[in-house]
Amino acid sequence: MDDSSVSHHNGGQVGSQIGVSVNNKQNEESSQSVQYSIPGILHFIQHEWARFELERSQWEVDRAEFEARIAFLQGERKGQENLKNDLVRRIKMLEYALKQERAKFHKLKYGVELQQGDVRPPPEEPPTEPEPAEKAQWKQGRQLIKQYLQEIGYTDTILDVRSNRVRTLLGLNNEEQVEDPNYRNYDNKFRERCGDSPINSLIRKYDYGGKEQRKGGVATGGGYNEEGLSNQETAAVFANFEFLANQEMDMDEIDDLDANKPHHTSGKQGEEVDHEAEEVLNELNLLTESEADGGGQGDEYPVGGVVGGVAAGGGEADDKPLALGELAQLTVSNEPEAYDVAGANKESFRKTWNAKYTLRSHFDGVRALAFHPTEAALVTASEDHTLKLWNLQRTVQAKKSAGLDVEPLYTFRAHTAPVLCLAMGAPRSEECFSGGLDGTIRVWNLPPPTADPYDPYDPAVQGPVLREHTDAVWSLASAHGRLLSASADGTARLWAPRAARPLLATLRDDAHAAHPAPAAAADFADGGARAAVVYRDGTLLLYDLETSQVVVRIACESAAGRVRAHPALPLLVTAHEDRHIRFWDAASGRCAHAMVAHLDAVTGLALDPNGLFLLSGSHDCSVRLWNLDTKTCVQEITAHRKKFDESILDVAFHPLRPYIASAGADGLAKVFV
Amino acid sequence: MADGVQILRRNRPGSKAKDFCRWPDEPFEEMDSTLAVQQFIQQTIRRDPANLEAILKMPEAQDEGVWKYEHLRQFCMELNGLAVRLQSECKPETCTQMTATEQWIFLCAAHKTPKECPAIDYTRHTLDGAACLLNSNKYFPSRVSIKESSVGKLGSVCRRVYRIFSHAYFHHRAIFDAFEKETHLCKRFTYFVTKYSIISKEILILPKLDDETPISQTVGESEA
Repeated sequence: MDDSSVSHHNGGQVGSQIGVSVNNKQNEESSQSVQYSIPGILHFIQHEWARFELERSQWEVDRAEFEARIAFLQGERKGQENLKNDLVRRIKMLEYALKQERAKFHKLKYGVELQQGDVRPPPEEPPTEPEPAEKAQWKQGRQLIKQYLQEIGYTDTILDVRSNRVRTLLGLNNEEQVEDPNYRNYDNKFRERCGDSPINSLIRKYDYGGKEQRKGGVATGGGYNEEGLSNQETAAVFANFEFLANQEMDMDEIDDLDANKPHHTSGKQGEEVDHEAEEVLNELNLLTESEADGGGQGDEYPVGGVVGGVAAGGGEADDKPLALGELAQLTVSNEPEAYDVAGANKESFRKTWNAKYTLRSHFDGVRALAFHPTEAALVTASEDHTLKLWNLQRTVQAKKSAGLDVEPLYTFRAHTAPVLCLAMGAPRSEECFSGGLDGTIRVWNLPPPTADPYDPYDPAVQGPVLREHTDAVWSLASAHGRLLSASADGTARLWAPRAARPLLATLRDDAHAAHPAPAAAADFADGGARAAVVYRDGTLLLYDLETSQVVVRIACESAAGRVRAHPALPLLVTAHEDRHIRFWDAASGRCAHAMVAHLDAVTGLALDPNGLFLLSGSHDCSVRLWNLDTKTCVQEITAHRKKFDESILDVAFHPLRPYIASAGADGLAKVFV
Repeated sequence: MADGVQILRRNRPGSKAKDFCRWPDEPFEEMDSTLAVQQFIQQTIRRDPANLEAILKMPEAQDEGVWKYEHLRQFCMELNGLAVRLQSECKPETCTQMTATEQWIFLCAAHKTPKECPAIDYTRHTLDGAACLLNSNKYFPSRVSIKESSVGKLGSVCRRVYRIFSHAYFHHRAIFDAFEKETHLCKRFTYFVTKYSIISKEILILPKLDDETPISQTVGESEA
C-alpha cells in the first residue's frame, strides 16, 4: 500500500512537472508566437481537473483501505481481549469448581460442609463486565467497528480467525469446520436428528438459552461464542456453549433466576420421554442434570451461608447460587447420582461412613485416641500402658475383609498404669500429651510419619512429665500451647507443658473444697478464655482462666463423662451416664437441649472442626453421628465389642481430613472414611 | 445406671486410681463376651497376682489354644512395665548386645535379617513384634478360637520374651527384683511355659526365684 501511495505522489509530481513544462512551452511559444485559444485553455483545465479528481479518488480508496486495516487490527485486539478475559474467567471458574469439588469431597467423605473462608464463588468477573457507562461506550465502539468491517468485507476473515482461535483453545480440530458458523444451525441439525419427538421441549430450552445469549452477547462483550464456535458435533463444545450461555444469563437480571426454573422442569420432562433419542438424551443428560443440581444448590445455598455466618447481600446472593450450580456441573458429571442426592436435599443427604482401617496392636482397651492435626495419622492410648502412633497411609491389606490393617509406627512406653486420655498438640508442634491412671501427664515428641517401628530407641521421644496431679488424670485438652487436665484428685489444671514452671493454674471448686468431687473431663471454651470442667457428681463448672474463678455453675443430676465446647458457638456438650447428651448455653448456663442419645451411658463425644456435626460413642457399642442443627442422628455404626460392661471409650474427628475414629474396650481402634 | 440390682463393671471417667477395675468378680460362666478369657485372667490376677495356680488354672471346657494365647497377651502387656523401667537404665552404650549369661548373643528377629540390636532395642522390638503378631489378623483373627497352626507361633514369642526377663535378671537385677515383687510376672511366666511345655526346660536359664537350685545352664540355640 505504501508503494501505491508513493506512486501516486510521484504521479502528482509528474503532473506538476508536466504543468511546468507546459508553461515553459507556452512561454517559449508566447515568445515565439502566442497561440492561446479559449478552447485550448478550457481543455487544459478540464484535463487537469479530471486528473486531480482521479488522484483524489485514489487517495480516498487508500484511506478506506487504511481505515479498514485499522478496524481489522482493532477488532482483532478486542477479540484477543475478550478471549483473554474469558480465559481468565474460565480459570477462575475452574478454580472455584475445584474448591467446590474439594468442599464436596469433604462433604461426601466427612458428612459435613467444609466451612472455609475461601470457598466462595469467584467475584463476578469484573473484567468481562465493565461499568454501565463504559459498557455503552464499548458497545458503541464495537458496533462502529462492526459496521466498518461489514462495509469492507473483512467480517468473515476476522470471524474465521477468531473462531479458529477459539477452537484451538478448546483443543478441537478445525477440520470439521463448516462454512456457515451459526449457532442456530446446530439447533436445526439437532432438530433433524431428533425428529418430532417430545425432545423438542428440550431443544426449545436450548433455543431459549441461545436467544438469551444473543441478547446478552453484545452487551457483555463475551460475544465471541455468538458466532465463534458452532457445528462441532461434540458434546463438549455444546456443553461449553451452554455453559457460557448460562453464564450470560447469570449476568443478566434476577428474573433469569425464574427463567431457570422452567429449564429445570423441561429437563425433567425430557428425561421421562427418552426412548427414541436415547443417545441424544444421554448427551444432554449431563446438562439437564447439572441444571437440576444448580437449582438444588441454589435452594440450599442460603442455608449454608447462614450457618456459616455469611450474610450474603441480596443481589449477590441471587447470583451466587446460580454460579454455584453451573460450576458444580463442571465437577460432577462423572458421578451425577451421588450429587443429585446432595443437591436434592441437604438435610436428607449424608455421607455414609464406612469402617476402613482397623488398628489392632493394643493388648487391652483403647481409652483415648486423637488424630494428628494435619497428617493421616493418629495416636491411641490404651489400658496396656502404652500409646501407639499409626500412619493410615502405611497399610496392609487384610485378607478377607475390605478393611485395611495398619501396624503401629511407634509404641510410646513410659506410663506405669493404664493411659486414660490424650491430647494432640498444635499443628507443626509434632507433640502429644497423655494422662494416665498413674497421675502423670506426659509430653511426647511424635516421631516422623516415616519412622520405622523397629528403629533404635530414641529417648528424645519422651518430653517433660507433669506430676502435680495426685490421682488419675482423666481428661486432657490442648489449645493455644496450653494444656488443660482434669483429674480424679478433684482439680483441673492449666499447664504450659514445656515451660520451666509448667503449672499455670489449679482450678478448684471452692464450694466443695473439703470434699472435691473428682473431675471427669475438661475442655477449653470461649476461644481458650475459659475452661469447662465436669465432675463425677454431675456438676458442670466454667472457670475463667484469667482469674481461676468459677463464672458459671451448672448442676445436673446425672454424672457426665465428657464435655466438649463448640468451636464457634457458646455451647457446651456433655455426655452423661443416663444415656443423655445435653447441650448448655455457655453464657447463661441454661440447658439448651437434652436428648436420649444412646441405649447406654454415653462415653465419647467429638465435634467436627466446623461445629456442624457431633459424634458420640456409648457403652451400647454404637457410634452415632448427629446433625447439631437438627439434633437428629445421621448415622449409627456398631463398632466395638464389650469387655465387661465397657464398649466404646472414645471417638474423634480428624481436624482436616475426612476421618472419624472410635476406640474400644476390645483393644481395637477403628477409623472410618 | 449403677443401681444395686445391676452391677456395671466399668471405669467411669473421674474414678480414683484405687477404684480402677475394682468391681465384684464375675463368674467365668456368666461372661458372655468374646473377651471372656481375657476378662477372667485379668480378674484373677487382680485378685492376687502371686497366686500362680489360680491364675493359670484353666476353666473347664476352655479351649487351650485360646487360654495360652490370652495368657501370652497378658504377659506381653505386663512386660511393658518392665520395658518402661529398663528404658531408664538399659542404655545402648552399656548393653550393646542382648545377652543374659555371657553364653549367647541374641539376635533381634524384628528385622529382615536378624541383627545384634542393643538390649533395649531388642526388648522394645520384641514386644512390638509380639504385639503385631498376637494381634495379626492373619494368624489370630479371632479371640475365641485359634488355628492349630497359629498355636505354634506362641512358642517363638515365648522364647524371645523370656530373654527380656533373663537380660533384666542378669544385668539390671534391681529393676528385675522390684518389678517381680510387684507383679510376680517372671514366676508366672516360668510356671506358664513349664506347665504347658511351651519352651524346653533347658532354655529357662533363670534360677528358680523363690527356692530350689538353678536349673541347667545349657541353653538352646541363639537363633532369633
